[in-house]
Amino acid sequence: MYRLLLPVILLLALVGVSVLSDKPSPRADLVFINSSDVNTLDPQRMSWMHDMRTARLLFEGLVRNDVLSDDFAIIPGVAESWSVSGDGRTYTFRLREDARWSNGEPVTAEDFRYSWRRAMLPDLVADYVNMFMLIEGAQDFYDWRTEQLDAFSQRSFESPAQRQRSAYDLWDETVAKFDQLVGLSAPDPRTLVVQLSRPVPYFLDLCAFVVFAPVYEPLVAQYERPDPTTARLIRRPGWTAGGVLISNGPFELTRWRMKRDMRLEKNPFYWDTGAIAIDSVDIPSINDPNAGVLAYQTGAVDWIADVTAPYRGEMVAQKQEYLAQHADEVARLKAQGLDQFSIDRQLPPDPRAHTHAVSSFGTYFYNFNCKPYLPDGQPNPFADARVRRAFAMCVDKRAIADQVRRLGEPTASTLIPPGSIGGYESPQGLPNVGDASSETERARIVAKARTLLQEAGFPEDFVVTLSFNKDSGHDLIAQTIAKSWQKHLGVGTRLDQKEIKIFRQELKDKQYMTGRAGWYGDYGDPTTFLDINYSTDGNNDRAYNNPRYDGLIDQAATELDPAKRMALLGEAERILVEQDVPLIPIFHYATIYMFDPQKITGLSTHPRTTQNAYLIDILTDAKGPNQPRPMRRPAPSSQEPAP
Amino acid sequence: MMTMILRRLIALPFILLIVYTITLTLAWVVPGNPLENPEKRPKPEVVEQMNKQYNLDSFPRFYFSYLSSATGLKYARDAISGQLAREREEALSRGYPAPVRPVFDLGPSLKYDDKTVNELISETLPVSVTLGASAILIALVIGMGAGVAGAVKPNSLTDHVTLAVAMIGISLPSFVIGTVLLLVFSIWLGWFPVAQWGTPRSIALPALALSLPFAAYIARLTRMGMIDALGADYIRTARAKGNPQRVVLIRHALKNAFLPVLSFLGPATALAMTGSFVIERVFTVPGMGEHFVSAVQNKDYFVIIGVVLVFATMLIVFNLIVDVLYRWVDPRIQ
Repeated sequence: MYRLLLPVILLLALVGVSVLSDKPSPRADLVFINSSDVNTLDPQRMSWMHDMRTARLLFEGLVRNDVLSDDFAIIPGVAESWSVSGDGRTYTFRLREDARWSNGEPVTAEDFRYSWRRAMLPDLVADYVNMFMLIEGAQDFYDWRTEQLDAFSQRSFESPAQRQRSAYDLWDETVAKFDQLVGLSAPDPRTLVVQLSRPVPYFLDLCAFVVFAPVYEPLVAQYERPDPTTARLIRRPGWTAGGVLISNGPFELTRWRMKRDMRLEKNPFYWDTGAIAIDSVDIPSINDPNAGVLAYQTGAVDWIADVTAPYRGEMVAQKQEYLAQHADEVARLKAQGLDQFSIDRQLPPDPRAHTHAVSSFGTYFYNFNCKPYLPDGQPNPFADARVRRAFAMCVDKRAIADQVRRLGEPTASTLIPPGSIGGYESPQGLPNVGDASSETERARIVAKARTLLQEAGFPEDFVVTLSFNKDSGHDLIAQTIAKSWQKHLGVGTRLDQKEIKIFRQELKDKQYMTGRAGWYGDYGDPTTFLDINYSTDGNNDRAYNNPRYDGLIDQAATELDPAKRMALLGEAERILVEQDVPLIPIFHYATIYMFDPQKITGLSTHPRTTQNAYLIDILTDAKGPNQPRPMRRPAPSSQEPAP
Repeated sequence: MMTMILRRLIALPFILLIVYTITLTLAWVVPGNPLENPEKRPKPEVVEQMNKQYNLDSFPRFYFSYLSSATGLKYARDAISGQLAREREEALSRGYPAPVRPVFDLGPSLKYDDKTVNELISETLPVSVTLGASAILIALVIGMGAGVAGAVKPNSLTDHVTLAVAMIGISLPSFVIGTVLLLVFSIWLGWFPVAQWGTPRSIALPALALSLPFAAYIARLTRMGMIDALGADYIRTARAKGNPQRVVLIRHALKNAFLPVLSFLGPATALAMTGSFVIERVFTVPGMGEHFVSAVQNKDYFVIIGVVLVFATMLIVFNLIVDVLYRWVDPRIQ
């Protein structure tokens, strides 16, 4: 009989052992849910927003963006001051003396040279390698290394031992080549001189981008060495593990368990540790959107950085209802120039006030395939800009934003969210049926569109295909667009719903007619959006090619005067959204946050949607100043950052 | 008995080879490139470099190179040819630390850059095993209790109710059960934490949700076995000897009725430990189950193959254990 109990006893022992060996740690000062599991904490290799959100807690670049200022000003980071040469091509950074790694070692100019070299290597395949190519000689270095690696794979060797030796020799040669070719020098440990291949007015903004943050060479170099057979630098993961990673930002990583949680503790060696009002941060990995909201409601989580629960539309609607109940008070506070979080903080507490729709640095749009022929070999009516303009005017953007998305997102008439980039004037964009102020105006827009189609000789009973992937409500948006085209232009439509991988492949291969798309900007310059329409750009899914547009982008690249440069880029965007229209901007994204405004302060409402979570102060605890941190208006004279 | 175990163990690598071949082929034909950030495309050169680095540009090359590193053949070959020692020497002589190479290398994760598949599995498998084992324990208690209760008085109200509940347990999808449990016990009553792992309290709810379909199945198996057993001659003999009901039921009838349950336990345990991705998602349990789904979506070849191989191995091993136990419990079986 007792034999029967054996499996039960075995199972019981198993459960007992694993429960006893696993003790949860006390709750951190700040617990927030990132939008997804971190893919990598290697700054040079990252490209995901959730990775960067975490990395900004751990790493600090030469400079930072002041996310709590309305103009997203550049403020000192590791560099305490900097100067730019007259031709805009040489940047000299002075590193602060008290910049420290989390093991107490000083952060030096060599650390930056080492880290940026990593990013410039073809071996490491960094997604943002292009940004580093702005540095003098970087492209030559990249090409040289690529050639050498190719040549190495063709070479024959007498023995594996010799092959291995040559692989290491090639690496030594590569390091020497970098010193010789690339315009990055460190005359002393606290001075970094960067030579650019052309003036890059937004270079400081790039330096604030976390991909430009330094890594600790003595640690990272242990995990990277030339592969004995291919000579390619191979990296072994492991240096970003909890308790192993050495970083130079406000926090250090003490634990990282896959799919489970990440724990950050204050970096005792950080130079500005006095400004940090929280001692520890927990980032639990909660991937189910609903579980995230539930966890928030039980108080286990303080902030959700991206609410994606299917009912978030209702949450936003309830918030708007709440704001409407206090409309007078809201109007009064708005008139004082307060930002949306500060307004929420002044209103009576209410669970509905915990939902926040924040404008984002991204745009949802529809692509037109601009190639002369469609995948089936038929002539493509959308190769004609007049047809594209007509279709763009007749998408009911208002209905999509207000009835389908319901997140309070603004309709878009431009690719770049207006007001997100300082000094940049957005073009007007095309009139749109959804945003028409009256019925007569709407009729006028439709008539204009129909005339355009007639002029272009748009074929009768042509069926327009809309391609999209099947998740995230793209189907509802496609239906709305199809309905507006049927209604206003009288064309037939076909909805083509695809699995996401197939959909992306078809976009890339231009095997579509019109298709949904979206883009988030990376840095504070119009080119972060406009580059994707450059004829040879890898993200030009539209096969758009206008030499005049390319010319304006090229011209802006060498223009030294910031105002003139912005005007050139503004003209390029005008061509894009008013004249050629290879894409239809539909709305600018909003991100939905959940947090209690009475409890948390230090989050930014700037449309660049960048949060430096180390600025957060929990107002209800005993740590930090416990003073609200509102958005600040730019000081009148702060055009240039003080050197 | 030994020959049976030996035969199964010899068959294991061949079964795994077939599983590997089928899995990789299926994963390979799915369109898309695992190396591409879905929204922003890296330069074509970048993708080309990465394809080269991971052998993603050639199916046969990938097939054989992965096979040899995952099975430890590559390690053995390098150890014999002196390659390992050479790499070590060269690295040390140039001031690099000695290279670390696992014997069975399941490769890197293409999506989670900072982790190897070995690490991913070793971090998440214990969680899934704990959850699965707890669920099977709960399932055994609930299922056998309900099964015996039903079988003692067949066609009584108790019997019908337990059967009906069991039917619901089998047919209700686990995300419904999970969400209801979460809502009632965590949100409304506040008895259990949400989205936590590690304490018995945080394991209880997901384990319960995961156990219900198994419990229902065990209840039906037990009931059938018990009804069969209770009608048998030896039970009448046992009763005639004046044994109390409790002894008859547990010592005589249940012992036989348990055998079908035991054979169900092998695949059930493997399934509970690895196939719990819906429950893991609903309760945010940091287990391995979700890799099954997300790796396929991400086309993360190394992770897909790694978790499938681990699952296949577990399935085979648990079935083997159950067969051994089976013979031990019931020596009549040969």
